[in-house]
Amino acid sequence: MEATKASPVKYDMEVVRWFTIAAAIYAVVGTLLGVWIAAELAWPFLNFDIPELTFGRLRPLHTNAVIFAFGGCVLMGTGFYMVQRTGATRLWSNGLAWFTFWGWNLIIVLAVITLPLGMTQGKEYAELAWPIDILIAVVWLSFGLNHIMTVAIRKTSHIYVSNWFTMAMIVMITYLHVVNSLAIPVSLTNSYSIYAGVQDAMIQWWWGHNAVGFFLTSGFLGIMYYFVPKQAGRPVYSYRLSVLHFWALTFGYVWLGAHHLQYTALPDWTGSLGAAVSLAMIIPSWGGAMNGMMTLSGAWDKLRTDYILRFLVVSLAFYAMSTFEGPVMSIKTVNALSHYTDWTIGHVHSGALGWVAMVSFGAMYHMVKKLWNTEMYSESLVNVHFWLSTIGTVVYIVSMWVSGIMQGLMWRDYDEYGTLTHTFVESVFEMHPYYAMRVIGGIIFHLGTWIALYNIVMTVRQARSARGVNAVPANA
Amino acid sequence: MDVAAMSVNDWIGVFFTLVAFIGMAAVYFMVFRPANKDMFESQRSMALDDEDHISMGEKK
Repeated sequence: MEATKASPVKYDMEVVRWFTIAAAIYAVVGTLLGVWIAAELAWPFLNFDIPELTFGRLRPLHTNAVIFAFGGCVLMGTGFYMVQRTGATRLWSNGLAWFTFWGWNLIIVLAVITLPLGMTQGKEYAELAWPIDILIAVVWLSFGLNHIMTVAIRKTSHIYVSNWFTMAMIVMITYLHVVNSLAIPVSLTNSYSIYAGVQDAMIQWWWGHNAVGFFLTSGFLGIMYYFVPKQAGRPVYSYRLSVLHFWALTFGYVWLGAHHLQYTALPDWTGSLGAAVSLAMIIPSWGGAMNGMMTLSGAWDKLRTDYILRFLVVSLAFYAMSTFEGPVMSIKTVNALSHYTDWTIGHVHSGALGWVAMVSFGAMYHMVKKLWNTEMYSESLVNVHFWLSTIGTVVYIVSMWVSGIMQGLMWRDYDEYGTLTHTFVESVFEMHPYYAMRVIGGIIFHLGTWIALYNIVMTVRQARSARGVNAVPANA
Repeated sequence: MDVAAMSVNDWIGVFFTLVAFIGMAAVYFMVFRPANKDMFESQRSMALDDEDHISMGEKK
């Protein structure tokens, strides 16, 4: 059933183009919000005593913008791109794909309106009001149905591993979102979770960690397994290892959430189980990272000149680093120091900026060239973006490591009478230089997103003007 | 272990734990079985091969 050159396929790529452009815009908006709220923590007057600009309201807007607006558009765009190309078939429904695009963007607009107004369920990474939760489920299912049905009508005999990772994300995020969002509405904007007390906390972090595990890991691993071989021009190092990586991740990740609740009212064994499985997950995570990096065997020289490949490979380095750091932080002894400190924020951003954002930009640059059948407007700007991203990420996470460990040490230090040595306010005072350093790291990273947006827009304009002159169709 | 004291939730947990364990063992066996090596590794270059059946995805 393998398609051949004799049976060319026409793909539905216009919606992928729109998802790609939207992702580039949301990267700018999301990181701008992040820089702003980071600055508010260093210099609180920046909220100007306007409730809509306070940290508590803008922080969920930042996380929703970077995870679901930027990350979601990248995942849906690349998902539709990969499933068509590896299946040698068009989308099952192009119309449904457009419904997904506009529906997802409507959700983002609703988030921009409701979150600054303080309409929130107060559940981390699931803040949006219950009517929007229902809309999320509908739109997400439209994406899932379209993707899975496109796999079903593929012209190839094998389902490539990237599509497996994407489908695992689709199934698990559906399940997690629906269960975590179950609530009793009391008005159009307010509701109460059907869970109470420790069960509510457990469900929240079962969702919270698996949003990381399946939305920000499984989905982006699908991207990695397609775009690293494509950009390197080399077959994936070990397909067997990719299969093992997929199943180990899928079986294992759902157990980890309890490690967010060490030393709480949760039964002690659940936290221990979460930590034990977290440590076990280092094996498939590093196996996958090595698999991606070793795909460059015999082609390492390409890193000198291929700046897109640099994004993809450095993202794997951050993936390996953060998937080691996370399990270590879940160990109770380490967690006693790290929990509630900025170390956690540093860890999250090494994954979010170093892994997710960098693999996303690598994939986006690759797709832009294919989707518009052109070269990048400026390869040099891709390189500048790469270095801004790398340096910005490192400055950010180093500042949070130092700040977090200092916080942890100050908070638990006590004198010979058993009295705490430091007040909480003293620890806040000591954090100021590192909070300022974080703003600098964030600004550096944010500048890179502007460069990416400019470069992508100019590339599209360049392709359009060339097409206008030569009437060359855009290949995908 | 007090089996008699186990609740329905406990048994559901045991069931899914065993399913995950047996599933992982089956995956390891399947992936590392020498006879399956060629079957899996023959898909290594699938992402590269998709250039062969590309025609166009021109704009509407």
